Amino acid sequence: MHTLEIKDLYASVETKEGRKQILKGVNLTVNSGETHAIMGPNGSGKSTLAYTLAGHPKYEVESGQALLDGEDLLLMTPDERAKAGLFLAMQYPVEVPGVSMTNFLRTAKTEVDGKAPAIRTWTKELTEAMKRLKMDSKFATRSVNEGFSGGEKKRAEVLQLELLRPKFAILDETDSGLDVDALRIVSEGVNRAKEKDNFGILMVTHYTRILKYIKPDIVHVFADGHFVKTGGPELADELEERGYDEYMPEGSTESALA
Amino acid sequence: MATVQEIEIPVADPNDPYKIPAAMPSSADRAPRSFDMSAFAVPTRKQEDFRFTPVDRMSEFFVPFDASGTTEIAVSDMSGKKLDAEDVEVVREAMGERYSGKVSKPNDRPSAVQWNACSEAVIVHVKRSMTKPVLVKITGTNMVMDALHIVLHVDDDVHANIVVQHSGSVNLAEGVEINTGARSVVSTTFIQEWDAGSKHVGNHRIRVGKEASLRHAVVTLGGDVVRIRMDQDFGGDHGDLNMLGIYFVDPGEHIEHRTMVVHNEPDCRSRVVYKGALSGKGAHSTWVGNALIEPTAPGTDSYELNRNLVLTPGAIADSEPNLEIENGNIVGAGHASSVGRFDDEELFYLQSRGISEQEARKLVVRGFFAELIEEIGVEEISGHLMDAIDRRLARSETSATARN
Repeated sequence: MHTLEIKDLYASVETKEGRKQILKGVNLTVNSGETHAIMGPNGSGKSTLAYTLAGHPKYEVESGQALLDGEDLLLMTPDERAKAGLFLAMQYPVEVPGVSMTNFLRTAKTEVDGKAPAIRTWTKELTEAMKRLKMDSKFATRSVNEGFSGGEKKRAEVLQLELLRPKFAILDETDSGLDVDALRIVSEGVNRAKEKDNFGILMVTHYTRILKYIKPDIVHVFADGHFVKTGGPELADELEERGYDEYMPEGSTESALA
Repeated sequence: MATVQEIEIPVADPNDPYKIPAAMPSSADRAPRSFDMSAFAVPTRKQEDFRFTPVDRMSEFFVPFDASGTTEIAVSDMSGKKLDAEDVEVVREAMGERYSGKVSKPNDRPSAVQWNACSEAVIVHVKRSMTKPVLVKITGTNMVMDALHIVLHVDDDVHANIVVQHSGSVNLAEGVEINTGARSVVSTTFIQEWDAGSKHVGNHRIRVGKEASLRHAVVTLGGDVVRIRMDQDFGGDHGDLNMLGIYFVDPGEHIEHRTMVVHNEPDCRSRVVYKGALSGKGAHSTWVGNALIEPTAPGTDSYELNRNLVLTPGAIADSEPNLEIENGNIVGAGHASSVGRFDDEELFYLQSRGISEQEARKLVVRGFFAELIEEIGVEEISGHLMDAIDRRLARSETSATARN
């Protein structure tokens, strides 16, 4: 049983107009096995929360903590956070030319586990995981994310989730840019991994459609840099019907922000 | 005053437009070739060939000097054992006596100065095909100006693999002639792993024999100033030239490679692929790739490519491919060049998967070079090169840590 505890987190980003505060007092506790959906209007800071937790250099933490079993992730480098058990599936996975998927996955697995995986079982594990995600075996020899379609990139993210076996997984808009079939394959991958490792999930999403495949236990509404409402799965249905307008700052609508 | 010579412009036969070579000025007409250093002006950055070169950091190579003769040179197999003289004969001869001075002539001031500074040339003459590589080990022992002239001479029909390895501390002017026989299959690999502060000005003059194939690889992993110019031509038709280059440039270093491919014979093929990684402030690389396709070279197939990977900010990579095509009847002539950056997003992505910053750089650099190193093919060499690049990466890490 593991716990991720975000306490009073404030973070900002450098923009052309100067430093801008995005996260304004985020509080959240996630336990192993729980799936939290984080929903909210565009520009509310959902993705910033995901990247701040993973340690992207663009975001500066002003105050607060993110404790994974009592250890503050925010004091660690991004690779140390991954080793501590955090995984971020990115909305836009980055292409790394020249580094093959095989080499990348093996290196990541070695770093996260602290020892190299046994060659025979590793190859088998990789091949089977790829087959389940309906990924062509030639992916393994290609450069990391290079020339992958949007759907292929998302599958590759879920492949890493399955192989690296984190304690907590943040899925940042994993549903975006996926057609129905790809969404199902990706969601099944997430569910399979969760069934095996019972990790906690923070699922950042704008739309409710992924929630049909990955069932949340708790749904949060995130607006203007912090959580404004928490409920059960029924809250998602409510958002589906009524949109985010009531959570928007005075006088603005989401369409005006987008 | 020189007499003005009347130029007759030939008229092409419309039924056979390629029969008569095009009449146009060629860069070859203007480029002097001479053993006499006075044929060349002292380099300045105003000269095209030295535009990217920090000439003030290598001015000692532009004026005559007495060679110290202290640079050690040893020829053996890869494990250091003596070679059978029936396979490989190693002799020293006076400059220009039998084998030296046969492949073209010096083509710039430093190469003419080098020729005149040497009293003898070391001839590595491969007479029989060999399965194992020949190692020419050149070790610098001090920073006093020195000059060397090496001839790699491979007989007709011979298969040979020669590795020239440079290490130690030097200020070295080095001339290399590579002369490959008809139908020979030759691989030469030049590795520069000089100690910090070393200077190396090299000039390779290469002739690829009729129907012969030559793989010419250059790996420069260290040195304060390294400038290697490589001029090549073909000794007959159907020659195949494959030039590969790898360089790794640290802060303050200038590493320059100039590949000057000349297609002067019909139906020859050339490929030039140079890749470099640069790290830190003041790291400067230059690659200039010339390909000249002369009127006498129908059926030419030529391609040159240069890729640069800037690992940390402040490094400068100059990359300039030039093509001069004087013959319309060719298979192909192309070039590509790029300077890319290992950016924060790539680093963050790898880090977010548990890979440390140092490991991430290593992964990216190894991936960047792996394809070229594989192409060098011979296990003893590629294994050595991966080790050398790892050592080089480790060195960058140490110096990066020291700076922090």
